[in-house]
Amino acid sequence: MKQFYGVTLKTPLMLGTAQYPSPAILADAFKTSCASVATVSLRRESGRDKSGQGFWSIIRNLDVHILPNTAGCYTVKEAVTTAHMAREIFDTKWIKLEVIGHTDTLQPNVFGLVEAAKILTQDGFEVFPYTTEDLVVADKLLDAGCQVLMPWGAPIGSGQGLNNLQGLRSLRAHFPDIPLVVDAGIGLPSHAAHAMELGYDAVLLNTAVAKAGNPVEMAHAMALAVEAGQAAAIADPMEPRDMAAPSTPVIGKAFLT
Amino acid sequence: MKINVNGKPQELKSGSLSDTLAELGYGDAKIATAVNAEFIPAALRDTYALTEGDELEILAPMQGG
Amino acid sequence: MIDVSIIGAGVAGLCIATEIAERGGTVRLYDRKPSIGAHACSWWAGGMLAPFCEGMNAEEPVVRLGQQAADWWDKTAGGVNRNGSLVLALGRDRSELSQFARRTTGMDVVDGKQIAVLEPDLGNHFNTGLFCASEAHLDPRNALATLLIKLQAKGVTVKTTPPTMGPKMIDCRGLSARDALTDLRGVKGEMLVLKCPDVILSRPIRLLHPRIPIYIVPRGDGVFMLGATMIEATERGRITARSMLELLTAAYALHPAFGEAEVLEIGVDARPAFPDNLPRIRKRGNVIYANGLYRHGFLLAPALARMTADYLFDGKRSEMMDED
Repeated sequence: MKQFYGVTLKTPLMLGTAQYPSPAILADAFKTSCASVATVSLRRESGRDKSGQGFWSIIRNLDVHILPNTAGCYTVKEAVTTAHMAREIFDTKWIKLEVIGHTDTLQPNVFGLVEAAKILTQDGFEVFPYTTEDLVVADKLLDAGCQVLMPWGAPIGSGQGLNNLQGLRSLRAHFPDIPLVVDAGIGLPSHAAHAMELGYDAVLLNTAVAKAGNPVEMAHAMALAVEAGQAAAIADPMEPRDMAAPSTPVIGKAFLT
Repeated sequence: MKINVNGKPQELKSGSLSDTLAELGYGDAKIATAVNAEFIPAALRDTYALTEGDELEILAPMQGG
Repeated sequence: MIDVSIIGAGVAGLCIATEIAERGGTVRLYDRKPSIGAHACSWWAGGMLAPFCEGMNAEEPVVRLGQQAADWWDKTAGGVNRNGSLVLALGRDRSELSQFARRTTGMDVVDGKQIAVLEPDLGNHFNTGLFCASEAHLDPRNALATLLIKLQAKGVTVKTTPPTMGPKMIDCRGLSARDALTDLRGVKGEMLVLKCPDVILSRPIRLLHPRIPIYIVPRGDGVFMLGATMIEATERGRITARSMLELLTAAYALHPAFGEAEVLEIGVDARPAFPDNLPRIRKRGNVIYANGLYRHGFLLAPALARMTADYLFDGKRSEMMDED
């Protein structure tokens, strides 16, 4: 398994921490999913409001790597400043870099993304860029110093799955040694398994689990899916064919007509 | 001294950023600070002096995807 | 002989006081203020007694225990409207209706004609929805006032001086009890009270929304309660522009006449909640803590009151007790 900035993850599942029905269900979902990474964010907190502190104590007890994000940032400056604040709070060089370019689709602004990635890498960050499946952008991100790429499967929270299979495949083919994560758009375990079957190194999802009728059960399903998909990729799947090929041996077949 | 804390105007004693955070009741909470959209690391809070009209942002961990 | 001091005269404190007094116990009530009002989280409640709709996001005990609520309120305070509740979706959220139906029980699918019969003012606006006939709603402020009047008739008044140690204490302070209940957190809610005589509704309407479970509860005389956001935060400052925009947009989309409504009140408070959003009864020494009603104040306070009284009178432990 590839390393993420020198870290070997114990499972290829990264799970978001937002939108769960309750903190208790969030904690249970994490345990059941065996996720190795939790994404978190930052927000304003007043001195007497300790809700952020309460949330942090839940996350700290999960025994996972923390991946802070720059969600909601629309400019390079905002994203860079947020990253610095996140590094201090969470005591990690990891940053899930989001520079959003479009309100309806939450599509990344890839130009701002490359620029912010360059600045943050020079500042010593280990950047996980949330990007599109565009090959050229991927190249620029690697030039900017990223050692992990996180292309989207579909728009955030849409649950549509992997919208551009060919694009994700060619990214994998072009960057065989770079850890690749499908981030966003996963709605079902089959989507997660598919991403892993393509040879991706992890998936990052949130809404699919948090907004399921039973988030803990869905977390379990996702754990099974990424494990199955990963095992399938290691096993080197057969190539699909246009015609049937009998699976039962034809040799020695009796002639009974 | 009047400064904006997370977008809300507040009347505070002048002093360092550390003093201000103590005055606002943050204690040893897990937070990060920015003044006028520039990140101010924890190590600089003791020596960083806030001035009238500054925009102070205080952020804490929250849920994210 | 049961003799208790109850601290906090919000929905939890008043329901527990009522239940104990009805069973023949002696009650003293203490609160920061001599009468119920905006300092209590329950002042800003929607007053929906909707266990089945709440089942969309809540744990099983909310659905089960919440079904006792309408009868309890009818018996103690009256004023319960048993007109059911209607669940609708706007525009691109319409696909969420089938998910809501799947994840809840007690819902009937209704078409545009049936919606027009239930709520003539919504007539042609909607062609499908869900109707939960067995649900109810009440006016929370009237209900609390009635409980208090009935308690006063039994000689119980709300004192603002802190109780001296003596008889057993029941701590119903809501979020203020965080000093003792460290796993209690606040979930901020924002709501509006609107006056819109042009619209007549007979029951709470829920609007499915990807972020905020919006509802509009008719209070009579053209007054409506529009709520409520759910934000993981303890601060109870002012409403944000975004929240108000989303709430009002939903009301306007439900019926354009809400665009002409007068905004009577803006309410902001933080609901007290435990990590699983279920209430708890905890006995520590001389104090019984009854707390964590979350967004289910009027729905679960009757069950909380019964279980607290069961413990006091009969020593019966309930599912809400999670400590020794």
